[in-house]
Amino acid sequence: MRVLLVEDDRMIGQAVQTALRQDGYAVDWVRDADAADAALAAGSFDLVLLDLGLPGRDGLSLLRQVRGRRDATPVLVITARDAVGNRIAGLDAGADDYLVKPFDLEELAARMRALLRRSAGRAEAVVEHRGVRLDPAARTASRDGDPLALSPREYAVLEALLLRPGAVLSRAQLEDRLYGWDDAIDSNAVEVYIHGLRRKLGRDFIRNRRGVGWYVPAGETGDEP
Amino acid sequence: MSGRSLRARLLLSLLPLFVLAEAVIGTITYRYVLDESHALFDYHLEQMALSLRDQGAVPPPPVPPEEREQFDFVVQIWNADGSKVYISQTRSKARLPDRATLGFSDVLTEGERWRVYSLLARGRVIQVGQPYLVRERIAAAAAMRSLTPLLAVAPIVALAIWWLVGLALRPVVGVTREIRRRDANRLDPVPDQGLPAEIEPMVLQLNRLLERLRGAFAAQRAFVADAAHELRTPLAALKLQAGLLGRARDDASRAEALRELQAGIDRSAHLIDQLLMLARSDPEAIAAQASAGQPAEVDLASAAREAVAGLRALAEAQGARIELAGPASLPVPGNPDALHGLVRNLVDNAIRHAPGGSRVLVSLAVDAGRAVLQVDDEGPGIPADERERVFDRFYSRGSGERAGSGLGLSIVRAIVERHGGDIALGDSPQGGLRVTVRLPAGRAGPRVEPREAP
Repeated sequence: MRVLLVEDDRMIGQAVQTALRQDGYAVDWVRDADAADAALAAGSFDLVLLDLGLPGRDGLSLLRQVRGRRDATPVLVITARDAVGNRIAGLDAGADDYLVKPFDLEELAARMRALLRRSAGRAEAVVEHRGVRLDPAARTASRDGDPLALSPREYAVLEALLLRPGAVLSRAQLEDRLYGWDDAIDSNAVEVYIHGLRRKLGRDFIRNRRGVGWYVPAGETGDEP
Repeated sequence: MSGRSLRARLLLSLLPLFVLAEAVIGTITYRYVLDESHALFDYHLEQMALSLRDQGAVPPPPVPPEEREQFDFVVQIWNADGSKVYISQTRSKARLPDRATLGFSDVLTEGERWRVYSLLARGRVIQVGQPYLVRERIAAAAAMRSLTPLLAVAPIVALAIWWLVGLALRPVVGVTREIRRRDANRLDPVPDQGLPAEIEPMVLQLNRLLERLRGAFAAQRAFVADAAHELRTPLAALKLQAGLLGRARDDASRAEALRELQAGIDRSAHLIDQLLMLARSDPEAIAAQASAGQPAEVDLASAAREAVAGLRALAEAQGARIELAGPASLPVPGNPDALHGLVRNLVDNAIRHAPGGSRVLVSLAVDAGRAVLQVDDEGPGIPADERERVFDRFYSRGSGERAGSGLGLSIVRAIVERHGGDIALGDSPQGGLRVTVRLPAGRAGPRVEPREAP
């Protein structure tokens, strides 16, 4: 999952970035509204964490601008402004959720999961497909009740594929979800993770469409979509 | 109503005045009626004597003595040869003297004062007398009767005063009721329309006070809101770093998280110091210190030396040099804590923005009767369009890289303004920022001669 963190405070930004990376998110961190605007216009993010009190341009104005160009990326506002009026203004400007500082890392993670779940159109907290079950809160996977030992990046690839069974994800799309701007990307890293997953789940679980990308068949039978 | 009420006071002062006025009017009326009565009685005496003159024969006793006990006149008539012709009988049995002074005279006989009129006519002397006692009793009764309306009016006037005073004080009651409705949450002005001229200025001043209070409360509320908002950021950082510390799986990340946690604590402590300093530089706090006998003048030069000495270690850590120039003593009137904080803040700011190997120059001077404190650095400076905004509370420049709270310059400006001075940001000839603070100079003026080694 690729997250854009917009936060001007160095200590908070650093801590959130470190924690989210530990959780397997690809985190890009910008410190003002203009940089955030450019990042959102250029790349596809699964979620935006937006601080409102930014130097120069305010976070709310950025939010309005982003929503104005019909960008529906889920936005979780994190702010020190706790008045009801502020929260209403934030939600009305297009925020999907609102978290007041100081907040807990675990609560931030839970709210992010909830937003991602909703944006994927799911109601249940766990992802299940053809006997493979992912628990995003615990970041664990299992098959028919037996735990699967996945590396964080393998988990991320599997999650991306399972969230929309049948949809084909290109190598670039998968890389986007795995790496932030600062990460060095191995040219064949995605193939390595796919290989690892096939080894643990069976060759047929993840299929390849030549020249396009990878997908998990939608039906129980394993037919191509 | 209490003895101190305006109504009771007015009643207590107006009533004696009224009684005194009644006494004076009564006395004058009494004397006047008395005098009139005497004139009237004299006239009666004369008329009676004249009526006797015209009677040829000796008159019979005018009234049988037993029938009218209250007949107080005495009549004596005697011939030119001295023989008594007639003596009336009276209840007092008093006798008038046999010799008579013609006309009116006062006679004292057997302890009683008489008023006598004597007339010589047709060889007879006619003498009519009346005791003063009687005259005075009748006259006094008449005079007293003339006073009764005055006495009857007294309670009515007292009640009228009571009522009228209440009526006149009704606006005061109204204002009191309005003021009673005010509390810390409701400080809107008391209506001042249609008030009597005596209490209008009071209500006007009260309304000005309410307005100042409203302003002060609003400022306090804004400050508390700002401060709460600003304290949340370092707290959020602390909480996150504590969370990271809890998750750290190896020593390296644990050490990193711990270092960040400590930096966050330092930053929170710094912010709290700044907030406390801002609170202490409030005009009320300064006034309280002034009235607690604190010195009225502060030596800006020694404050600068203290700040430079205290911050030398920080400057060395940054690789910057601090220099101090100016008179050995530069007294300015004001609050010592606030002015020391002002100098320390400015020098601290300059050092934090000074690049390695650069120089921070703190200079003091007197210009046009004002004490001038100037701090120059070789840092990046502040662009002209941001120079006003940096004075806003919690306005923090850039990306939060430095652990500044954004409070420093707003505190500095608050202190300068509360001391009747001004502050300006400009370009330093050294290339960085120049902060110029002008304060009203003290009476003693600068002392240049003995220059102590810093």
